[in-house]
Amino acid sequence: MTAHIEIKDVVKRFGAATVIDHLSLSIDPNEFMVFLGPSGCGKSTLLRMIAGLESVDEGTISINGARIDNLPPGKRDIAMVFQSYALYPHMTVADNMAFGLRNIGVAADIISARVAEAGRMLEIGHLLERKPGQLSGGQRQRVAIGRAIVKEPKAFLFDEPLSNLDAALRVRTRVELAQLRHRVKSTMIFVTHDQIEAMTLADRIVVMNNRKIEQIGTPMEIYSRPATRFVATFVGSPTMNFVPVRVAGGETGGATVILGDGTHVKTAIPTMKLKAGNFTLGIRAEAVRVAIDGQGVTSGTVDVLERLGDRTLIYTKLKDGSVVVAEDIGYSRVAVNDTVSLSIDGSRVHLFDASDRAWHCEEGLDG
Amino acid sequence: MVEAVVSSREEFSSSLAGHKAPPANVNAAQWRNALFVAPYLFFFVTMLVFPLVWGIWLSFHKADTFGVGKFVGLANYARLFGDRIFLLSVGNTFYFVLLTVPALALLGLFLALALNRQTRTAAFFRAAYFSSSVLSVTIVTLIWRIVFVPDFGFLATVYGWFDTKAPAFLSDPNLAMIGIAIATIWWCLGLPMMLFLSALQQVPAEIYEAAALDNANRWQTFRSITLPSIKRTFILVVLIQVVLQFQLFGQARLMTQGGPNNASKPIVLYIYDVAFKRWDLGLGAAASEILFILILIAAMAQYFLTRNRGEN
Amino acid sequence: MSNARSTSIMGRESGDRVVLLLVIALALVMVAPVLWVIGLSLKHNAELMANTNSVFYPPYTITNYINILGTSSVFRWILNSLIVSGGLTIFTLVLASLAGYGFARLNFPGRDILFIIVLLGLAVPEQAVLIARHQIFGMLKLHNSYQGLILPGLSAPFGVFLMTQYFRAIPKELDEAALLDNASRFTIFWKVLLPLTVPAQATLGIFTFLWSWNDYLWPLISGTKKEMFTLTVGMASTQTNFAQSEGLGFLMAQAVFAGAPILILYLFFQKYIVTAVSGAAVR
Repeated sequence: MTAHIEIKDVVKRFGAATVIDHLSLSIDPNEFMVFLGPSGCGKSTLLRMIAGLESVDEGTISINGARIDNLPPGKRDIAMVFQSYALYPHMTVADNMAFGLRNIGVAADIISARVAEAGRMLEIGHLLERKPGQLSGGQRQRVAIGRAIVKEPKAFLFDEPLSNLDAALRVRTRVELAQLRHRVKSTMIFVTHDQIEAMTLADRIVVMNNRKIEQIGTPMEIYSRPATRFVATFVGSPTMNFVPVRVAGGETGGATVILGDGTHVKTAIPTMKLKAGNFTLGIRAEAVRVAIDGQGVTSGTVDVLERLGDRTLIYTKLKDGSVVVAEDIGYSRVAVNDTVSLSIDGSRVHLFDASDRAWHCEEGLDG
Repeated sequence: MVEAVVSSREEFSSSLAGHKAPPANVNAAQWRNALFVAPYLFFFVTMLVFPLVWGIWLSFHKADTFGVGKFVGLANYARLFGDRIFLLSVGNTFYFVLLTVPALALLGLFLALALNRQTRTAAFFRAAYFSSSVLSVTIVTLIWRIVFVPDFGFLATVYGWFDTKAPAFLSDPNLAMIGIAIATIWWCLGLPMMLFLSALQQVPAEIYEAAALDNANRWQTFRSITLPSIKRTFILVVLIQVVLQFQLFGQARLMTQGGPNNASKPIVLYIYDVAFKRWDLGLGAAASEILFILILIAAMAQYFLTRNRGEN
Repeated sequence: MSNARSTSIMGRESGDRVVLLLVIALALVMVAPVLWVIGLSLKHNAELMANTNSVFYPPYTITNYINILGTSSVFRWILNSLIVSGGLTIFTLVLASLAGYGFARLNFPGRDILFIIVLLGLAVPEQAVLIARHQIFGMLKLHNSYQGLILPGLSAPFGVFLMTQYFRAIPKELDEAALLDNASRFTIFWKVLLPLTVPAQATLGIFTFLWSWNDYLWPLISGTKKEMFTLTVGMASTQTNFAQSEGLGFLMAQAVFAGAPILILYLFFQKYIVTAVSGAAVR
């Protein structure tokens, strides 16, 4: 069972405030779609509208061609895993999973077979007779997923399901979710504000901000070709560096940009698409390296070192005062207050114009 | 707020849609949802709202056990304020509230402070002090009559050991109200104590630890930490007790019958006598409304006191 | 009671001895009258007539209690009280749970204003509706019946208030999960939320039962026939002028007997009653 979910021109208002503003989106069958965005961007509201827990003020939502936005939640053939899990505290794990099936009159033997199967799949078979209060956070999480699985729904909705777990368990559960989606053939929509969850789990990510969609794309598209400055800022750690630059016009091939300290950087962004003038250059730390031989294009003074083990993040200040985070090897010899030489990979930079529109490098055009 | 706006809009659209499709909005206002509150509302309206309105209406009429007579305007109220016994009963009630409420609040606070510990002894005393509260007024008054009664009462017996005569709490007009107040304090002490205890237990231990680190002595800790944190409870206790003690009835009826010479007759006993002994229902209703207004004033005064405290 | 020690003024210092003594002395004052009554109930009437000091020495007897078994109406009154208080408690729990769920979780036109009106009902004292109620019940011929004794209590807004607060405190995700599980509104109420309100049901049940068991005013004017007396009213009717009574011991035994059920109930459910009382008041 799977679902093609079509969201068309949907609007949601709470009183005078518009929470979702004319949003359209198509989710393919069996797709793992992640709604990513900061809190208050409308991602949870959108999910709850698909679930039927919020009404749709304008527009339509349909599954496999049939409108569902006028159906009550239980009739949409959808299962949801809540952030707080929302397990029924007084029912055993087995009853928690069986509740929804009993409500639609599924035969008892089918129910117990499905519960047993879900228990086996999620490795909670030995917990079936316990109450949620006797379970650990991770076990509750599995029960919540199990409760969704037994319904064999057309689509699974996850509302920040990992945010209540501690860091270690969150990573483990993430991996298990990734495995699960290959065993359970169904459309999945996953809401999170955590970019790592989004990157690791999604087939496609919908980045949302401020009531609307910023970009829809595969994780690597989102990462390497962020459509807007917001997406570039929100995805990736550490946050992308933004440096004001001028584009020197008139060349063919990759554009050359001039940093505040006068440094010229040759990029792989096609010049012909750009108007000469002021832009913001976006560079991820991984594209700014410490040049050991001192042959970098520019140099900066080291403010702070962050040693992450496998690499070191170096917060430097350029001569004109702009701050750039660069990357070095784990055993970096750089120290605070050193002046370091920095090289910039011109094939991995982005330019943003005044309206925050993004310009990316073209494949094969080296700087 | 936001929800309310949404729901009123939904209510509008769903009423337009009629009964056809079930509206998708699970939060929409629907008439059938009111079915859950309807059973209670039925009793609320028939047993509370309607009698309340009828009572007010009655108080403007001449009414007796044979039926409701003609509209008399404020005549019943005028009669009340001309009735020496009614005025006396109002005075008695206030006197009784003054006798009992401060004593209940202060004794309750004292016991709560003394018994706010986790020992078995403290638990035993808490249980003991609260136990009288579960008894009915009949048992309480019976116990205290047998304490106060002349000749073979407990008090008389104890005084007898010292060859003195016990004060006549039930037959001396100056002492009757005090006797009733003693029995009432004995009966009602458990609730204030419990309320103070639960308030004390809600004061975070960290605050006391911080005070100890700040070298506060016990009295300073009590003055500047314990008292401010139970201020609201103190007001709540006083409010509850004022409202409760204004409605004094059973103790007075059973211990002194309001006597001697109406010296211990409270308002409710006056209402009872007028309405259910003399069947002067209009007059009784008028007296009820006066009691209602007195309680409302007391409750509102307390409410605004609490609210101002909360804002500080 | 984690902070017990720090807030207690009963501790090791010498001033605390005074406090402890005061607590004990006050406790004696609390208990002495009860012991006196129990003592009297264990003496022969004739002996008490001569001198009540005889309480302090034997012989003691349980004759008075045995006499209750044969002659007293107490059993009938206890039965009446059980029916009235039990009935009122059950119906109150049903009505308050339904209404609490409705007010806390469902939306219907006029909900918020209705809830405020119900809350205002908390401020109406019984006396303000007593006379009119008495007239209405007279017209409906409900006096001297169990219905007549139970019905007025069903209008008390306290339970609705308590249950509404309690339902509001339950996470709304449970309702939503159940909605996605195809549960109807009633199924959500009955199978998902109601089992979670058991502590509140206990609080409200204990409160209602105690209040009804000890209620005096309404039963006094509505159940005027001796066989419809509740225990509270019935006991009051026996103690008109015991100053001259020859059956003092018997009267006391009856009082002990009548007070015992509720006291035993208290001993058994002490913990719940105490939580109920403090919990209900804090809300």
